[in-house]
Amino acid sequence: MFWHNFKYSCKVLFRNKVLLFWTFLFPILLGTFFKMAFSDIEKNESLSIINLAIIQSEDFIQNEVMHESLLSLSKEGENQLFDISYVNNSEAQDLLSKEEISGYLDFFGDEVRIVVNRSGIYETIIRFVIDEIQSQKKLIETLIQKRVNEEIEKGNYEVEIGNILREVKENVLSQSVTLVNSSSKNMSYTMIEYYTLIAMACLYSSMISMYITNYKLANMKSVGKRIVVSPSHKISGLFGSLFASYFVGAIGLVLLFLYSIFALKVDYGTTLFPVIILASVGLLAGILFGVSVSVLVRSSEQTKTGVLVAISMFGSFLSGMMGITMKYMIDTNVPILNLINPVAMITDGLYSLYYYESFSQFTFNIVSLLCFSVFMILLSFRGLRRQKYDSL
Amino acid sequence: MEKIVELKNLTKEYHKLRAIDNLSFEVRKGEILGLLGPNGSGKSTTINCLLSLLHFQKGSIQIFGKEMMPDSYDIKSKIGVIFQDVAVFEELTVFDNVDYFCGLYISSKNERKKYVEEAISFVGLQDFKKFYPKQLSGGLLRRLNIACGIAHKPELIFFDEPTVAVDPQSRNNILEGIKALREKGASIVYTTHYMEEVEILCDRIIILDKGKILAQGTPDELKALANIEEKITVEVNDLEKELIEKIERFKYVLDVRYLENRLVIVYKKGQNNLEELMDFFKKNHVVYNKIFSERPTLNDVFLELTGKELRD
Amino acid sequence: MTVFKTFWLIVKRYRAMIFIYTILLILFGVINTTNNDTSLDFTDSKPDVYLVIEDENIGLTKNLVDYISRQANIIDSLSVDGLDDALFYREVNYIITIPKNYRSDVLNGLSPSLVIKSTGDYQASLAEMILKRYLKTQEVLISSFRNEEELIQKINESLEHKTEVLVTSKLDSATLNQVTQYFNFASFSIMAIIIFIVSIVLSSFHDFKVSQRIYVSKMKRNTHNRYILMASFLYSLIVFVLFSILGLILFPNVLLSFRGILYFLNAFMFTFVSLSLSLLISKLVTNKEAVSGIVNVVALGSAFLCGAFVPIEYLPKSVLRIAHVLPSYWYIKGNEFLKLTEAFNKDSFLILLENFLVLLLFGVFFLFFNHQVTRLKEKKN
Repeated sequence: MFWHNFKYSCKVLFRNKVLLFWTFLFPILLGTFFKMAFSDIEKNESLSIINLAIIQSEDFIQNEVMHESLLSLSKEGENQLFDISYVNNSEAQDLLSKEEISGYLDFFGDEVRIVVNRSGIYETIIRFVIDEIQSQKKLIETLIQKRVNEEIEKGNYEVEIGNILREVKENVLSQSVTLVNSSSKNMSYTMIEYYTLIAMACLYSSMISMYITNYKLANMKSVGKRIVVSPSHKISGLFGSLFASYFVGAIGLVLLFLYSIFALKVDYGTTLFPVIILASVGLLAGILFGVSVSVLVRSSEQTKTGVLVAISMFGSFLSGMMGITMKYMIDTNVPILNLINPVAMITDGLYSLYYYESFSQFTFNIVSLLCFSVFMILLSFRGLRRQKYDSL
Repeated sequence: MEKIVELKNLTKEYHKLRAIDNLSFEVRKGEILGLLGPNGSGKSTTINCLLSLLHFQKGSIQIFGKEMMPDSYDIKSKIGVIFQDVAVFEELTVFDNVDYFCGLYISSKNERKKYVEEAISFVGLQDFKKFYPKQLSGGLLRRLNIACGIAHKPELIFFDEPTVAVDPQSRNNILEGIKALREKGASIVYTTHYMEEVEILCDRIIILDKGKILAQGTPDELKALANIEEKITVEVNDLEKELIEKIERFKYVLDVRYLENRLVIVYKKGQNNLEELMDFFKKNHVVYNKIFSERPTLNDVFLELTGKELRD
Repeated sequence: MTVFKTFWLIVKRYRAMIFIYTILLILFGVINTTNNDTSLDFTDSKPDVYLVIEDENIGLTKNLVDYISRQANIIDSLSVDGLDDALFYREVNYIITIPKNYRSDVLNGLSPSLVIKSTGDYQASLAEMILKRYLKTQEVLISSFRNEEELIQKINESLEHKTEVLVTSKLDSATLNQVTQYFNFASFSIMAIIIFIVSIVLSSFHDFKVSQRIYVSKMKRNTHNRYILMASFLYSLIVFVLFSILGLILFPNVLLSFRGILYFLNAFMFTFVSLSLSLLISKLVTNKEAVSGIVNVVALGSAFLCGAFVPIEYLPKSVLRIAHVLPSYWYIKGNEFLKLTEAFNKDSFLILLENFLVLLLFGVFFLFFNHQVTRLKEKKN
């Protein structure tokens, strides 16, 4: 009976194009859109070379420290910060209004003025760097003063300023500090979007199991009446069909995973095995969710689909699909929501595998998903038992 | 005769609305029992209770001598049901549909193949095995519906209005098929609101209205019960009122109706009614087109019993 | 009238969907993603930094803490357990751990290294520049100044320099940003609810049996088609007016201006394109079940590829090249142009005009294509 139902449920499901579109193709399409829209966000958010213009003037050429420092900062290489064009005043204004540069420098005397369009991060960085160069000048002065004083205290009145200047300048300019960076290598937050996508796909599989379960219910479809009046055991028949739903859902999920790894270049962290476990349990939760909605919501198939999509999408929204800040907000302020939202459990599980080295959060998510699944089974059983004596 | 189904004092209420009211009847081995009644009379509810699809408040149901329960699998295995709505998978072919439902009864694959092929030939769909339900016409779809219900060769078959919205040719095919099933030894319960079908098909008839039995018996018994023996219809133009009143005063006349140039006279009993009427017309110089006498139909019986037409 | 009635019935049946898209639009318009100051004086951007202070907060240590507090936003509402999560979700850009004995190690010339965690974005880069500048200064000065008080004084003197910054733009860029964001997102809402409803209505009319019934009814075919067009146009107009009024309520200052009128004009052109596209889609797709799939693909695809969700400057160049074939791209480009344009002169009008023209061409193209498909189908029947 199990295999009989399995075989025919598969046949039924693979013939339903609308269902296959939403469960197979839609997540892949959405993932492609994500890829197209998000692939450059993080690159854009890391510091890129700032376009800067300098108004050519005698004052600029005189300003030796400034001159040298800016030259070294615009040298092509790993540490390049600026791309500098040397222009006259009106050219600078023109470039700025066309947004081709973030700002320009105008030297007068020993001072410099920065002209920008607005207050922003790049503008702040320009100012910061100029400040730094200016303070280096100050620093060098301070140090020379100190050295000269020391020499004088020693009784050495013939101080070679040139030597001291060179020494101090080299000391200041070559000074570097090292910081120990202990942040995780996996910092790409757009990955969360893809994780919510996987989670959504797991939950969308509920449409598969809902569809096939409806066929078993005498009050949904007349086929269900025919099955109820047959001598076949309901539970083993249902198991066959659910196994088929799981099988079909798993094929969709495998396709999505392959696509996400090879086409979308989604990073799941170091090992794939726990990811597979998580997806399997997540799919189980989704399938069982579909069964209980099918059994408990006493309405048309359209309404049931509406309920499933609405809950899945809302769950995805809370898990950060429409902006990852939402996930963080829920995680920190209303963590209790995560205990009832399977999308969040799957997303968070994938996140913890990607970002953390320990498995504690992952294990917690797996257990939550299993609890959710068991709860769905209990709900479905209650509903089915009630229908046993009053099927219509 | 052996009783296949025995229903005693069945009462089913929906929210205080009594759909079936203390209903008792039986189905005998090898007979076709007709459940006749207008829409909403409780035919389908009765069948659903018999099949344990519905919970009922009072009464008992025995099938094949055992009490029927939701998990009476041994009883269910000998029952076949053809529902009012077409109950098939849209996504499966004709063959797969029949095979799926047959598989719920017969698990051995090899054995089943024979049953499925037989059922498909029985309803005449052998040329459509690879077709999907969407590609079938209404009549063929009904036949598929039947094939799905009878493939496992049940001993007791319920037909719940299998001919609704079916063309005459398919209808005849279906009715012939049901007779053939009886020939093979099945007992059949047939519900409908088409009395012509019941008259042709059924050995015994139960007339239901508002969840109660109004009458039961063979077609002839029922007609006898209704106190009607003969119905004479005359096509005649512009008949005067006085003449109609005179006809009403004839001996044995129960009822006279004159509508759209058709005169219908219902007689309680009596012989030579036709002769008497023709003489009367001759005497009064009435010219008529057509005159014929007929035995009353079940529709007349129903009309007589309830005061309303069967077909709503 | 029946045509209008049918339209209205279907709109009513899908009101929940229309409502959701509208709410999304409002949410998107209200959320302020740029924390730009609206004042015309220059204000420094400050990265979000979390300080883990393991040393005693006095002397040199305190001076470092004070310095960073001046240059960055110090986030202190986080629990230590949640730090890594906060970093991942960019709630904090940079985490600096000042180790135990930092102060004494510096004074002893040991140059202790600080442990940091960074998101790697430009905010973090700025935070790192801020930190490194301080440490370098300290490192240079320590060899000459061993007295803590003097050292602190010299460090602070060296760091205090502030260069003058002149802000030229007179635009309220923060609000304009938000308005543009609102209108860009509206491309998604407008497209989704116009295509969905119009396609559902029209596919019911195009349904073979219904269209046959219409064909034999006494109403002339052309009259009927005209009614359908009028009803669709009226519906689209209502959607446009609804979103415009919402925009006005949210940003009265910007939109009650010449610039605002241009925003509305752009949106109106886009509404027209969406309508003509939905007429075409409904001609091509007769299966009602497929409609919602198509709508999702077209509306979501346009929104993602053209910059309705993600700012256009963040989209990869290759994607933007593909986006040229989508009307949403030109609409959003128009909005972006309106956001940045300082003054409206001949040049800027020409650019806008070009955008409008492209949108108009899209609309006309869809209508023409729709016409061809209709003729082809009629021939077939």
